[in-house]
Amino acid sequence: MPGEALLSVRGLRKRFGGLLAVAGVDFDVARGEVFGIIGPNGAGKTTLFGCLVGALRSTAGEVRFLGERIDGLPCHRIVRRGLVRTHQIVRPFREMTVADNVAIGAHFGRGAHRAARAARAVRDVLERTGLAHRADTLAGALTIGELKRLEIARSLATEPAALCLDEVMGGLNPGEIAGAMALIRAIQASGVTVLMIEHHVHAVAAVSDRIMVLNFGRKIAEGSPSAVLADPAVVEAYLGSETPIEAA
Amino acid sequence: MRRAGLAAGVAVAIAALGAPLLLGRGTLNDLWNLALAVVLASSWNILGGFAGQVSLGYSVFLGIGAYTTVLLSLRGVDPFATLVPGALLAAAFSVVIGLPGFRLRGPYFTIATIGVGEAIRVAASSVSFTGGSSGVRMPAGSFEFGRNYLGMVILAIATVAIAALVRRSAFGHTLAAIRQDVDGAEALGVDATRFKLAAHALSAGLVALAGGLYAINFQYIAPGAVFDFRLSLSIVLMPIVGGIGTVVGPLLGALVVSTIQLKLLELPALRDSYLFIYGGLLIAVILFEPKGLVGLARRIVAALRTPGATPRAADAR
Repeated sequence: MPGEALLSVRGLRKRFGGLLAVAGVDFDVARGEVFGIIGPNGAGKTTLFGCLVGALRSTAGEVRFLGERIDGLPCHRIVRRGLVRTHQIVRPFREMTVADNVAIGAHFGRGAHRAARAARAVRDVLERTGLAHRADTLAGALTIGELKRLEIARSLATEPAALCLDEVMGGLNPGEIAGAMALIRAIQASGVTVLMIEHHVHAVAAVSDRIMVLNFGRKIAEGSPSAVLADPAVVEAYLGSETPIEAA
Repeated sequence: MRRAGLAAGVAVAIAALGAPLLLGRGTLNDLWNLALAVVLASSWNILGGFAGQVSLGYSVFLGIGAYTTVLLSLRGVDPFATLVPGALLAAAFSVVIGLPGFRLRGPYFTIATIGVGEAIRVAASSVSFTGGSSGVRMPAGSFEFGRNYLGMVILAIATVAIAALVRRSAFGHTLAAIRQDVDGAEALGVDATRFKLAAHALSAGLVALAGGLYAINFQYIAPGAVFDFRLSLSIVLMPIVGGIGTVVGPLLGALVVSTIQLKLLELPALRDSYLFIYGGLLIAVILFEPKGLVGLARRIVAALRTPGATPRAADAR
C-alpha cells in the first residue's frame, strides 16, 4: 500500500441546526489508494464530502490536503489545489455538449488549460471515460449511465490529485457497474487518489484498498474491506440483521 | 446558417450607417431610438441571458452614463469624450452592487436590484449635483444629431458583435455553465462571482455609453427619467420577448418593443397604459413561448421541416 497521507481529516463536525450530520470524524487517505466510505442512509457521507471540497462550511475540525489546511476555502479554490468531487445526483450543464461540459473542468481545474491544450485534455478525458463518441451530444440527451460517467469526466478534467466519487454506481445495471469498477481502477492506476461513497458493498469492497464505515456521523470502523465487513459493529449497525449484503 | 446570419447583420449595419444619406430626420430619430433599444437589450442579455442573473436595475447604468456626460460637459469637456469615463464609472458601480448582490441567488438577486435602482433614483433626486428632481441641462451648442446618430448605431453594432463573440467564447461558455448550475460550475473550479461581476461590468459599461449619447440627444436629464423603474422594466422586456440568452433575440425584442412604444406614444388614450400592454406581453411570452420570438421561429422551422407535423405548427401559433 502506498505511503504518505494526501488527505488528513481531524475532528470534522458539521451541524445543521439540531442535527449533527458529521460528529467528529478523523481519517487519513494515503496517496494513490482507493478509500471506500460506506454507511446507512443519513450516515453523513455526502455531507462529509461537501465539507472536504468546500461546498459546505464545516462547523469544526481540520482538513489538510497536500500538507495544507483547506477547510474554510471556497470550493473553486479547493478544486484548483487538486481535490474535486462528483455529485450523487448528477448535475450536468444540460444545454451544453458533453465536450463543453468537460471543457469547463479543463479550463478551471488544477491544469487551467487554455484553447488547444484544453481541447486535447478534453479529448483525452472523454476517451478514458468512454464518452468520446458522445462528445458533441447535448448533455441533456444522455442516459443515466452516461451522465454518471460525464460527472466523472468533468471532475477528471480538473486534473485532481484526489477524486471524491459520490455513488457513481447508483442506478446502474450490473454491466455498467462492472464498467464503473474498471474505470475506478484505471483512475487509480493513472495516479489519482480516489475516495468513494458507495452503496454497492461488493463493488466498493472489490476496488477499495481500505474502507471506512460511518453511522450517525461517526466512524464505527476502518480497515481492509474483509476486516471491516466482518466487524460485528458494522454488521449490526450498517448491514442490519436481515439481508446482509446488497446484490451488486 | 451562421454565415447567412453574419451576412444579414453586415447588410443591416451598412444600411443603418448609410441611412442619413437617404432618410429624413423623423425616420432617423426612430432608428436612433431603435439602436438605443438594441444596445440596452443586448447588453442586459450578457448578464441576464447568458449568465442568468436577472437584474431589474439597469436604468442605474444608463443614468450614470447620462449624468457623467452632462456633468463633465458642463465643466467644458467635449461631450463625446465623456462617454468612456461614464462607462468606466458604471462598470465600477456595477462591481459595488454586484459584490453583495451576487451573494444572493435567483429572485433574491432580482429583488435586490429593484431596491438598488429605487434607492439611486431617490438619492439622485435629493442631492444637488444632479439638479435634484428638476434635473440638469447640457451646455448650449452640444447638440449634434448626425454625430450622435452614428455614435448610437456604431455602439449598437459593437454591442451585438460583442454579445455574439462572448456567446461563442470560453467566457460565454462559463457564463452558460453558471446559468445552468452555479454549484456545479463552482464544483469544477469556476469562481462564479468573478464571472458574474465581469459580465455585469461589461454590460453596465455598454449601457452607460448609450446613456451618454442619450443625454447628448435629449439635452436634458432628470433622476425621474434616467433612473426610472419603468425603463429598467422595458430593458428586461425586450430580450425576454425576443428570446433570452440568444444573440438575435434582443434585436427582435428591441424592434418589437420600441415599435410598440413609439406607436403607443402617438395614441393619447394608450400613452399611460403601455405598462399594462408590457405586462400582457410578458405573461404571453412566459406562458406560450419562454424562449421568445426566437423560440417561436425555431418551432415553426422545425414544424415546416417535419412532414405531417401541420397540426403542431397550428399549435405553435
